[in-house]
Amino acid sequence: MGGETVFNAIWLLTILPELLLLILALIVLGVDLALPAERKRSLGVWTAAGLVIVLLVSLLAPVPEEAAFGGLVRADPLGRVFRAMFLLGGVLVALMSMDFRPLRQDGPYYGMLLFSLLGMCLMAVAENLVMLYVAMELTSISAYVLVGYLREDTFSAEAGLKYMLFGAFTSAVMLYGLSLLFGLTGGTGYMEVAAALREAPFSLAMVGFLMVLVGFGFKVAMVPMHFWTPDVYQGAPTPVTAFISVASKAAGFAVMLRAFRFIFPSLGGEWVALMVAISAVTMTLGNIFAVWQKNIKRMLAYSSVAQAGYILIGVAAASRLGIAAAAFYLIIYTVTNIAAFATVVLVSNLTGSEDIESFAGLSRRSKFLAWGLMLALFSLGGVPPFAGFIGKLILFAGAVQSGLIALVVIGVLNVIVSLYYYLNVAKVVFERRSEEEEEPVPIPVPSRWVLGFTMAAIVILGVLAAPVFNWVWRASGAWF
Amino acid sequence: MTIRQLLEILTVLIPLPPFLAFAFIVLFFNRWKRLSHSIAIGAMALSFLMAQIVFWTVIGWGGEALYEHPIAVQVPWLPSGDEVLSMGVMVDPLTAITLFFVSITCLAIFIYSVGYMHGDPRYSRFFAYISLFATGMLGLTVADNLLMLFIFWEIMGLCSYLLIGFWFEKPSAYRAAIKAFLTTRIGDVIMLLGIAYLYSQTGTLSFAAILRDEAVLHELAVTPSVISGLSVAAAVGLLLFAGTVGKSAQFPLHVWLPDAMEGPTPVSAMIHAATMVSAGVYMVVRMFPLLAVGMEGAVGTPPMVAMAIIGSFTAFFAATIAVAQDDIKRVLAYSTISQLAYMVAALGIGAYVAAAFHLVTHAFFKALLFLGSGSVIIGAHHEQDMMEMGGLRKRMPVTFWTFLIGGFALSGFPILTAGFWSKDEILAYAWHLNPVVFWVLAAGALLTAFYTMRQICLTFLGEPRGEHAEHAHETPWVMTGPLVVLALFALFFGFVGVPEEFPVLGELIGYNWFHHFVGATVGELLHHLPGPESFNPVPLAISVVAALGGLTLGWLVYGRRPLKAGETDPLARWLGPVHTVLKNKYYIDELYHFVFIRPTVWLAGAVFRWFDRGLIDGILHGIARLGEILGIANRWVHTYVIDGGVVDGSAKVVGATGRELRQVLQTGQVQHYLLQVLMFLCAFALLYILFF
Repeated sequence: MGGETVFNAIWLLTILPELLLLILALIVLGVDLALPAERKRSLGVWTAAGLVIVLLVSLLAPVPEEAAFGGLVRADPLGRVFRAMFLLGGVLVALMSMDFRPLRQDGPYYGMLLFSLLGMCLMAVAENLVMLYVAMELTSISAYVLVGYLREDTFSAEAGLKYMLFGAFTSAVMLYGLSLLFGLTGGTGYMEVAAALREAPFSLAMVGFLMVLVGFGFKVAMVPMHFWTPDVYQGAPTPVTAFISVASKAAGFAVMLRAFRFIFPSLGGEWVALMVAISAVTMTLGNIFAVWQKNIKRMLAYSSVAQAGYILIGVAAASRLGIAAAAFYLIIYTVTNIAAFATVVLVSNLTGSEDIESFAGLSRRSKFLAWGLMLALFSLGGVPPFAGFIGKLILFAGAVQSGLIALVVIGVLNVIVSLYYYLNVAKVVFERRSEEEEEPVPIPVPSRWVLGFTMAAIVILGVLAAPVFNWVWRASGAWF
Repeated sequence: MTIRQLLEILTVLIPLPPFLAFAFIVLFFNRWKRLSHSIAIGAMALSFLMAQIVFWTVIGWGGEALYEHPIAVQVPWLPSGDEVLSMGVMVDPLTAITLFFVSITCLAIFIYSVGYMHGDPRYSRFFAYISLFATGMLGLTVADNLLMLFIFWEIMGLCSYLLIGFWFEKPSAYRAAIKAFLTTRIGDVIMLLGIAYLYSQTGTLSFAAILRDEAVLHELAVTPSVISGLSVAAAVGLLLFAGTVGKSAQFPLHVWLPDAMEGPTPVSAMIHAATMVSAGVYMVVRMFPLLAVGMEGAVGTPPMVAMAIIGSFTAFFAATIAVAQDDIKRVLAYSTISQLAYMVAALGIGAYVAAAFHLVTHAFFKALLFLGSGSVIIGAHHEQDMMEMGGLRKRMPVTFWTFLIGGFALSGFPILTAGFWSKDEILAYAWHLNPVVFWVLAAGALLTAFYTMRQICLTFLGEPRGEHAEHAHETPWVMTGPLVVLALFALFFGFVGVPEEFPVLGELIGYNWFHHFVGATVGELLHHLPGPESFNPVPLAISVVAALGGLTLGWLVYGRRPLKAGETDPLARWLGPVHTVLKNKYYIDELYHFVFIRPTVWLAGAVFRWFDRGLIDGILHGIARLGEILGIANRWVHTYVIDGGVVDGSAKVVGATGRELRQVLQTGQVQHYLLQVLMFLCAFALLYILFF
């Protein structure tokens, strides 16, 4: 039994990336003190470079297969896929932040970003209810701070407060659910809980499931736990919005996939039926609301709700293909959404506005930006040959394999609706003229890297998906 | 790195340079004409070089060795559940020979275009398009599976649309472009069905996995398909053949090709010689083991029978139309249809190598003829009506002599021309295997020689009959140069495929290289195909008589006493109403217009009016109305219920979300949000507690 060993040094390898993240955060905070104010922008480089190293270590370092720390965490292959996904998102967001004026010289901001990432990485590998809760709280609390970081800006401050209120509420509900599960089963490790749950009364187990779902649902922004998204996305500093929309959502899915796979299989068809319904409602509401938006960040917020709906298709499929497809889609979604937000940062830097109308004439101001945004929108809308198309294709394939044909039909119809508002932005970018269109948009080097990388990834993942998907697919094998 | 690895890399790279040229010209260099054509030609030359290196190296290995170990590279491409679709390239003997002629003809056409397109306002765009076109053909050639072949096939379909309609100011040009696109699309869709059916039965689309695996082929041949009486192999074969009927313009989908002459002439050469129509035949040649599986002796499988019937009919049918055409390019267009039909018919009777041989020789002499006609058109100031030409022999000597060589090759002029050797081989097999096909093809050969001579006489001999022909001049070297090179191939390429039993020459050359090399593509199957055991002089004699007879007849009618200006075609006088029918292409376009197009347009109009406007829009308006009602109701609830009891949020939030009043749910107030989450939770918790 793992409980008998109090400590084993090899366990440190399991959480090596997390340890490195902690060290990196301390380094960044230290450097912040040492650097003169005018050179503090280089903190973004420190953060990004450090994260790249952590990412490489997390991919390459040997990791013990078995659970560590008495069953608190298990760095299995799929957990490592998720961890790499968050770290990649972190690198891109750190670079992107360097071009966002209000934040780019702020050391504690980068530190908070790293602490949030640390929480996410732990979420990806947590295999114990208590560990799960602690990791989620670490992630969330750092994220509340990040959202409300611009204290002078009422929008940001209000968004932070809203995010915290909503988060605290859902977190409380989830904690209640966790305690219910503990009460029912007398254990906190996923395997113990799952084993005891088979004997427990079904309705109580289901209520526990529902309460936990509220907590997860907040993270992934699924209906009806999505209400915070438009307000928070709009109010938060744009790089933070990007961070929440990709890494935080992906972390939510990481814990959701693992918990559903290992804790609740005994609930069988009931939770699947519920997830099918939630998935259908989530993508439909997200898409319909997105159609009305005039602010691009609000539009992307609803779009991210809809995207969560698509990914829930994979969760509902509950098969190996479904889970692998969800994870693969999250990788695609990470690069795609970051590309979209990176263009928003640059355009709003110049125009001071986040209205879709302010993108008029962008194709004449900067071809590079216009195409970056275009690729991102096409990928989100599932236009072949871009990454989003392949991602949706595999998600739908997983659902078909599990017999959820109706859900796939709803999904396809939703994709069609979503094209309306994605292409609407493309229309403004390429067709609408504006008076300032002679004035080019300057693209600083960090954004150049972010956009170049994400654009290449969108195209490459679209035309040559197999290598990355195979990686995810092999990783998903450990769960089955 | 071994030579094999080097060749693998080269093969992967072959389609790439023209694609990059396309991308660079479109994105960056479309304002610089010289730069554009330099990039396009440079890229094509690079592809040409790589293709030739691959070709000449594998020739050294020999056909059997290449069949045993083809050059093959694969990468996993598209995950599809438990399996992964792979993309890859493969070079077997058929690929090698196709790369050889495609790269040569494409390069010649690229260089020629510099002269032909000179001064065109969309010069750069033209080079971008033909670069993409070349990418399509080269990619299709090296593809190692049907899906990839189909992708490049469709790229070519797109390019043909863009290029046929290149001068879209002319209504006839854009109509021709749409016609070509839609007509070939009919074949493509049916072909895609065949591909999907094949995939559903075998789980793979790789050529190697299907065509080289006896067990798979046998399984396909004995499994009954959804259509009673047909095996899966036969059903798939018929569906795939429909793709060829569209792409290679066989009856009844031949109507697009003559209209495609609206494009610039290099495009015609590209479509009709080097790439698109060849692709149609290439595909069935490639899939031949599947089409032929289940063949017993000389009795063909259903797809082969279909090919023999459609091929021989089209060969004769198109030749009769060509006799009565006056446009210099239209004559060539119908001759293309007719010559492709020879290949289709040859495959239909099992003359695999002969079909491939004619594919190659035809590519050379037809490219030559099209470029020659383009040279005439440029030299004669954009005159295309042969009745207005005449007397160009002295004014355009290089064009004349090369056109003469091309024409003689097309007619199958004995011994000297490449066309003779390939056509004679088809006829020799037909004589042995199917007399009906033989006589139809022989009659077609007679007509071919006749209309070719008619064309040469009307264009080049006698005195000018029109203003433009009077002032014609020879074209610059960028145009005549490619003509000369292609003329050499039209003359001498045939000698690589001289039958060993052929009197005198056969012994002199001693080795039918083409037969051994390309025949190796199908491995063992080649030895099971029926064919003439020994040399038979009868079909040879008939073929020679047909070629020489047709040429002589043509000379007697048009050459001995050239037409004067204003004189009507003597053929029209003698044939009377028959000539009118031929001139109007048997009224097939009119028939299609009446039977297919008018009803479709009517149906589309009706559907638009009743279904789209009435039903769909009605539903949409209904939903919009519903949303409006909900919004109003929601506002009412807010004003009188919620705001009465709950504290207002900050004014800013309301301002930001005020636009969302339509939405029932998004109020901007956290209390509402939390309330709704709680309602969700309680509702479902109650549901589970009470009902489970």
